[in-house]
Amino acid sequence: MPLQILLKDIPNYHEIEVYRQHGGYHIFKKAVSKKPDEIIDEVKKSNLKGRGGACFPTGLKWSFMPKDNSMPKYLCINGDESEPGSFKDRQIFEYNPHQLIEGTLITAYAIGAQTCYIYIRGEYVKWIKLMQKALDDAYAQGFIGQRMKETFDCDFTTEIYIHKGAGAYICGEESALMNSIEGKRGYPRVKPPFPAQCGLWDYPTTINNVETITNVPEIIDKGGEWYANIGEPKHPGTLLFGVSGHINKPGVYELPTGTLLTDIIYKYAGGVPGNKKIKCVIPGGTSMPPIRGDQIEGLKMDAESLKAVGSAIGTGGIIVMDEDTDLVKVLARITKFYYHESCGQCTPCREGTGWMLRVLNRILDGKGTSKDLDLLIDIANNIEGHTICALGEAAAWPVKFTIQRFRDEFEARVGREIILPIANKVHSMRTTLEPLTDIQVG
Amino acid sequence: MPIVTINDQKFEFDSGETIIQVAERNGIDIPHYCWHPRLSVSGNCRMCLVEVEKMPKLVIACSTLAMDGMVVHVNSLKAIAGREHVMEFLLINHPLDCPICDEAGECKLQDYAYAHGTGESRFIEQKNQKPKRVKLGPYVMFDAERCIACSLCIRFSAEIAKEDQFTFVQRGDRVTIETFPGKEFDNPYSLNVVDICPVGALTNRDFRFKARVWDMSDTKSICPGCSRGCNIDIWVRNNEILRLTPRFNEAVNDYWMCDHGRINCFKFVNADDRIDSPMIKKAGTHVSSVGWDEAISKTVSTIKRFKSDEIAVIGSPFAIVEDNYLLAKFARQVLHTKNIDFIKHINPADQDDILIREDKTPNSLGAKLAGISPRNGGLNFEQIMEGIKGKKIRCLILIEDDVAAISQDFLDSLSNLDSFIVFATNNNKSTELADIIFPSATYAEKNGTFVNFQGRIQRIRPAVMTIDLDRSLDAMSLSRLDKFGTEFDRWGKARKINARSTWRIILQIANSFSMKFNYETSEDIFLEISQTIKEFDGLDYELIGELGIQLKSYQLVEEPILV
Repeated sequence: MPLQILLKDIPNYHEIEVYRQHGGYHIFKKAVSKKPDEIIDEVKKSNLKGRGGACFPTGLKWSFMPKDNSMPKYLCINGDESEPGSFKDRQIFEYNPHQLIEGTLITAYAIGAQTCYIYIRGEYVKWIKLMQKALDDAYAQGFIGQRMKETFDCDFTTEIYIHKGAGAYICGEESALMNSIEGKRGYPRVKPPFPAQCGLWDYPTTINNVETITNVPEIIDKGGEWYANIGEPKHPGTLLFGVSGHINKPGVYELPTGTLLTDIIYKYAGGVPGNKKIKCVIPGGTSMPPIRGDQIEGLKMDAESLKAVGSAIGTGGIIVMDEDTDLVKVLARITKFYYHESCGQCTPCREGTGWMLRVLNRILDGKGTSKDLDLLIDIANNIEGHTICALGEAAAWPVKFTIQRFRDEFEARVGREIILPIANKVHSMRTTLEPLTDIQVG
Repeated sequence: MPIVTINDQKFEFDSGETIIQVAERNGIDIPHYCWHPRLSVSGNCRMCLVEVEKMPKLVIACSTLAMDGMVVHVNSLKAIAGREHVMEFLLINHPLDCPICDEAGECKLQDYAYAHGTGESRFIEQKNQKPKRVKLGPYVMFDAERCIACSLCIRFSAEIAKEDQFTFVQRGDRVTIETFPGKEFDNPYSLNVVDICPVGALTNRDFRFKARVWDMSDTKSICPGCSRGCNIDIWVRNNEILRLTPRFNEAVNDYWMCDHGRINCFKFVNADDRIDSPMIKKAGTHVSSVGWDEAISKTVSTIKRFKSDEIAVIGSPFAIVEDNYLLAKFARQVLHTKNIDFIKHINPADQDDILIREDKTPNSLGAKLAGISPRNGGLNFEQIMEGIKGKKIRCLILIEDDVAAISQDFLDSLSNLDSFIVFATNNNKSTELADIIFPSATYAEKNGTFVNFQGRIQRIRPAVMTIDLDRSLDAMSLSRLDKFGTEFDRWGKARKINARSTWRIILQIANSFSMKFNYETSEDIFLEISQTIKEFDGLDYELIGELGIQLKSYQLVEEPILV
């Protein structure tokens, strides 16, 4: 049986008594016997990378929090999990909520947060209830809140609240998530300032993914070194791979980083129905660049290996598409999602997502031309890097890379010629009295 | 001091300043829509993208802090390309209705489309459709299709007007603005959002569709609505004022003005009830129009019938310093009366700590400084009214005010007067009782000065022609139509009122008493004021300039001066 850190084959492990029988909440007692900085160092040693998609080193993120304990500090656990193809945090809420809670307590202690929010997407009605039950049980036994002092014989206390999302993908973006908790419109904030300086209600805040935090108790229990040796050294640990699409056994599989993609698909998830060939795999949720079927042989699933083939690990949501998949339709559907979810705050994403969708729909209607494909890539490039948050990239990457990597399929769907109404181009490049810095005069 | 390099020029800056602030301070233009120097930074329009050396991506100048040694290129090819992309995105769903849009001519989207657009559109899809005429409040109309979602109006409302009344709703390119349920966008400063809206999404319901902006002349002036003295521009087309807009003056009104000033402080200039010639009451019945000479000789003969202590004079906080000064001098040297004062118009219920002052006149302090106060035991305003009631005061000279409107008691007393001489711009309750009426020019038809509650002296200038004023001869501001229209146009056949500055009328009366007052312009009077009244020492119109100047003895006055 593969190594289990996050999801364990123990019956009723979600119940607090079962969790306690297996050593639960003792790790926190061990943690408070150390100094907060020692906890952070241990996590740094483990080389744990954020599981929300950006793979930012968790210990380093914690170390950005000011050490000054005179002001309020906050911890937010991001369980907004809204990326299509991503459904891993749900399993933790259902099957291992207390490890998440214990991880939250340890993290709160490490960074000095007196208040923690677990932000769960509103559509997870059942999982919000399950999580709330687990929290209530932990409160009842004195593991959270004021009674922590007696329970763990320590000076530290913290409160944990569940905050329900209201149906916006963008609230999974960490600064929009904070605005959402504050009761504001879910708009991402302009960075800098970063959350560790100015976060929730303008106080220092750390935001971590559910899966990231669920790793923490085991790291503290077994040591950073132990964890750093699991899987790929540069991206250690186990990942929850959510496998979906054209697959015989869709589901969430906990496997060490560096597991072969082909192993995940064929060994664990039962292969492709009808033994069809694979045309395309999206490795980490729909915002990640897709991989061609001819790239998957020997491909390891970890941040570095995926980067090497021009994609990224994202949230580990693997979407498998067989040889009969209509990628134009897939791309239009993905683009519709980001169009629908763009918050509308900043110009490139607000306008660009709708534009890309309309062009793709036109291509689906058989009215596209090959110039439209170049236009789509151009729009995607113009969104990328010009927006307040990463939703710009999330919308641009699928368009850009799906067309680039499956250009032949797209070309087959569009006409060859187009007459675009082009006005006279009347402008020079120069806009002011000052000469262009890029052009050497004389 | 740390140094930032922008476009190869080195600038010192204070820590905490953003790139756009440093650039703005040094006269370098970085295009922007959603940034405003007085509002929080939202960073949403992305128009201020600039290239910073050693940074991988373009950054927005409005939120990126200047750092020591930072090298910024506003006009590198990469930065220009970034802005062109933003312009392309902004224009794809923007309706191309510039020909009927009020903003055209002062629209940032238009300006930047010329300066930073690619000149062509690659967008051949259906544009978004959104509501076109949404009444957000009593004065502001919203066109959702034109909106570029910069959030300036929302931030203005929350941060400057201090009333949260509306917000964004919907997501993505469906985003639009709605007032909160049960709320109207009706705060006293609502129309400022029309000025800061970079496009034609928010328009002034009082002005929309009245004129193209390039067909109007604009004249720098002062709002007469209260003692704040907000700096304004008067916009005139066909000799008719169509709108007022605030003019930036950090010391007085910053970028703003209130809706009351903007809506209610110009219509009387164009109103039908303007007094359009001198008038005399004949045979105890109605007043009828007469020539200036007849009205003046009638005035002289009337005044000569009274002893000096039977005469009282009421100056005006609505009139300019020069009017009041000459009136005071006239009272002293010609009428020899000590009974001189002016009426205060205080409304403590209508004031705030933003702009609006309880003193509803523009020049109380100026009137007082110009000498409008009882001399050596003379009667003040209340005593004058008592004197009229007791028939001790038999002749009253009133300029630019409406004493009869103050109370029924006053109105009744005024019928006791043997002679009531009124200088007024419009018909009012006092002119109805007057024996002689002189048509005064309004604040929009003359040169002069007001002193606001801070003790700041500020200039007004003629924006509207009277019979005596000519747009080109008197160096008034000219619109395109003024310059290039022909006499065959409807333009130029505008109504001109037969009115004169109050001081000019007083001057003529005084000289008919064989005085030798010698003033050609209001500035001649002002120069005499500056030599005789210490608060105005050494000042002239040029020194006062466009933004006014603090009177020396009134430095740092924060609280209202109750005169």
